[in-house]
Amino acid sequence: MISITFDDKQKIGLQYALDTLHGCSPFGAEKIRRLRFYGPEEREELETELYNVEQMARFAGELKAEYDKICLILCQMKDIRHSLRRCAEGICPDHVELFEIKGYLQRLENLLPLFEKVSGKAALEGIAFSDPAPALAVLDPENTRSRGFYIPDNSTPRLKELRIRKKALEEQLFHAEEKEKDAIRLERTRVCAEEDSEEMKVRAAMGKTLAPLVPDLLENADTAGRLDFMIQKALFAVHYGGVRPELTDGALELTDMMNPEICDLLEEKNRRFIPVSISLGRGATVITGANMGGKSVALKTVALNVLLLQAGFLVCAKKARMPLFSCVKMLFDDLQSIQSGLSGFGSEIVEFQKALDEVEQGYSLFLLDEFARGTNPDEGAVIVQAVTRYLNGINAISILSTHYDKVAENANAHYQIIGLRDIDPEAIRRELCTTSDDGIEVIARHMNYGLYRVEGRSDCPRDALNICRMLSLKPEILKNIEAAY
Amino acid sequence: MLDKLKDDLARIRTMSIVGMCKNAGKTTVLNWLLSEAQRGRCLALTSIGRDGESTDVVTGTEKPSIFVPSGTLIATAGDMLRLCDVTKEIIYTTGIPTPLGEVVILRARSAGFVQLAGPSITTQLAHLSGTFFDLGAEQVIIDGALGRKSLGARVVAEGVILCTGASYHMSMEKVIEDTAGIYRIMNLPKAASLPPEAEDSLEDCFRKNGEAYLTGALYDSMILPLLRSGILRSGRLVVQDPSKVLLTADTLGKLDTRNVKLEVRDAARTLCVTVNPVSAYGWKFDKDEFREKMQAAVDVPVINVKEELG
Repeated sequence: MISITFDDKQKIGLQYALDTLHGCSPFGAEKIRRLRFYGPEEREELETELYNVEQMARFAGELKAEYDKICLILCQMKDIRHSLRRCAEGICPDHVELFEIKGYLQRLENLLPLFEKVSGKAALEGIAFSDPAPALAVLDPENTRSRGFYIPDNSTPRLKELRIRKKALEEQLFHAEEKEKDAIRLERTRVCAEEDSEEMKVRAAMGKTLAPLVPDLLENADTAGRLDFMIQKALFAVHYGGVRPELTDGALELTDMMNPEICDLLEEKNRRFIPVSISLGRGATVITGANMGGKSVALKTVALNVLLLQAGFLVCAKKARMPLFSCVKMLFDDLQSIQSGLSGFGSEIVEFQKALDEVEQGYSLFLLDEFARGTNPDEGAVIVQAVTRYLNGINAISILSTHYDKVAENANAHYQIIGLRDIDPEAIRRELCTTSDDGIEVIARHMNYGLYRVEGRSDCPRDALNICRMLSLKPEILKNIEAAY
Repeated sequence: MLDKLKDDLARIRTMSIVGMCKNAGKTTVLNWLLSEAQRGRCLALTSIGRDGESTDVVTGTEKPSIFVPSGTLIATAGDMLRLCDVTKEIIYTTGIPTPLGEVVILRARSAGFVQLAGPSITTQLAHLSGTFFDLGAEQVIIDGALGRKSLGARVVAEGVILCTGASYHMSMEKVIEDTAGIYRIMNLPKAASLPPEAEDSLEDCFRKNGEAYLTGALYDSMILPLLRSGILRSGRLVVQDPSKVLLTADTLGKLDTRNVKLEVRDAARTLCVTVNPVSAYGWKFDKDEFREKMQAAVDVPVINVKEELG
């Protein structure tokens, strides 16, 4: 079972993605709020969901009017599930409950032709509504099609009698002498009480007739929620460019993947997200790269897309081949456990232990961002090397981003951020001298966040020195650094 | 006089009935309006908060219940439905929550007694009136709040019926004085134009422009120093609505003497004042004297609820 904390959802940008969705019905909104991930054993269901979402995204332009109308109807739906369950339990529903159930069924009835059209055009699979007509017939026995809910006079002969009597008494009251009025009022109260109890019998009978239909009606509510969520997923894919991945048995290949949150953030600053490609297999993969180079972004984007897939979304990439994981765990570098009283490093180890226990339960994705950075570099490097060797042996795809030397040699694969590799530091230094822009901003602009695969042995890039040069660190210090390299 | 008043009342689209105190005769007026309405005319009814109990919760006295004709639209909280003995057709759920459940709109399919518990926020009330008209209502009547709170009623209603009675105070003079005070504030004239807004200091604004618009409340301690120093003299003060005027009758009088006009941005008008000479607490006023004195203090019709509407 994949379970992700709200904190992690926020860090990797999954929450951002979810926040862009607008669940229209209470059922759809609930599905988004209580996001459920498909496990490896639900591969078939997930395939169907992905197919449907892909189809709906493909026809999003052509069927826009239908989607809009469907959303409008979904928006008007109220959550009647509690009332339905009460009916099933044999509790007599009140007027307002029956009104709401009737309204819901009428909306569902209006939704059906639109759904049929969409479903036919986009050739959707595995999603269908059962007919609301039998339930509607219970609540609108005279087939008035009115929006209101009213227990008709003809419901029982007794009710009809009582209502006629009530009306007659009101007329009488209107013309009566003052001294007769009390007796008429008394009689009227009696009739009203009997009308109320007769109506209750009718309501109870309605509830009883509805009871066997309740499982179907609840199923329909769930289907409405699925449809709602599917439309939102399709629109998300249209907006951020989603692709339906080919499901594999182990390998994870993402070509030109992107992260909507960071993408939107950069766009606000008039910058562009550089798509990242990565190919991962069982065992440990190490990502190295300069400071500010986007190692964490790469890690987060992998996690985001894996989770999007397993929640039934198309993934944000040009092309994707992905497996299904039974567990996704991530440890980010900003981990602090003040409550437990442990240092940053101590709590990191505790969290790592906990995560590892879960990761070893089944095929997993395990992400470690700057693991053990909280301790001294010599010890840290040794620890991360050992962890990397261990992770090579377990049934999981592990990705570690690190600064430490010689970790990459212990890994199955090694990626490096392109960073400032192809940039002439002197050129940037000159640019910095002539512009008033913030130095960090200028470097960030030139930074290439793409990844490349390092074959054979390679040391960590020496971008730190370059950054010092660009930012014109005091020459005396710079000279000393260069001498020590 | 009553016939002319009835014509006047029928022309008002939204009407609020407000009381100076409990037992002022609000429900009697409401029942009178309901019974006098032309047959076939669709009235809609709601209240500010909970009202319409058959015994007054505060004084324990027997109160008249609200009796609606068939066809009336009623907005009340869900929990109140079982206390309404009309034959009910639920036609809309408003989504407005109250402690007594969501406010529901129903159509009375028969005449009968109803218990009202409407929204207590004026914006919700304004929204509800809109829904009533969408549902085909021709006139909306709001069973309003008591005393000062009722001044806000002008935001949602075009016309106001002000109910007062002996229950307000033992002294008839006090009842008349305070009712006339509320009446005066309620009937402040609508500003033809908005003067510049007094953002920082009322004094500066008034000095510069000879008039000022205040978005907040207006109270004695703001006005008295300006009156004393002679800055406030023959000009114009505009406030948002009557509920923003927290001035004592004395200060109001002083403004008048200085020829300072007090105006409001949102205006409704008081249609009539009703009086109830019998108090729920045991005392009684002379009904004719009370009515006549009240009539002398206001310039709209004054009606005795017990005799003329009973």
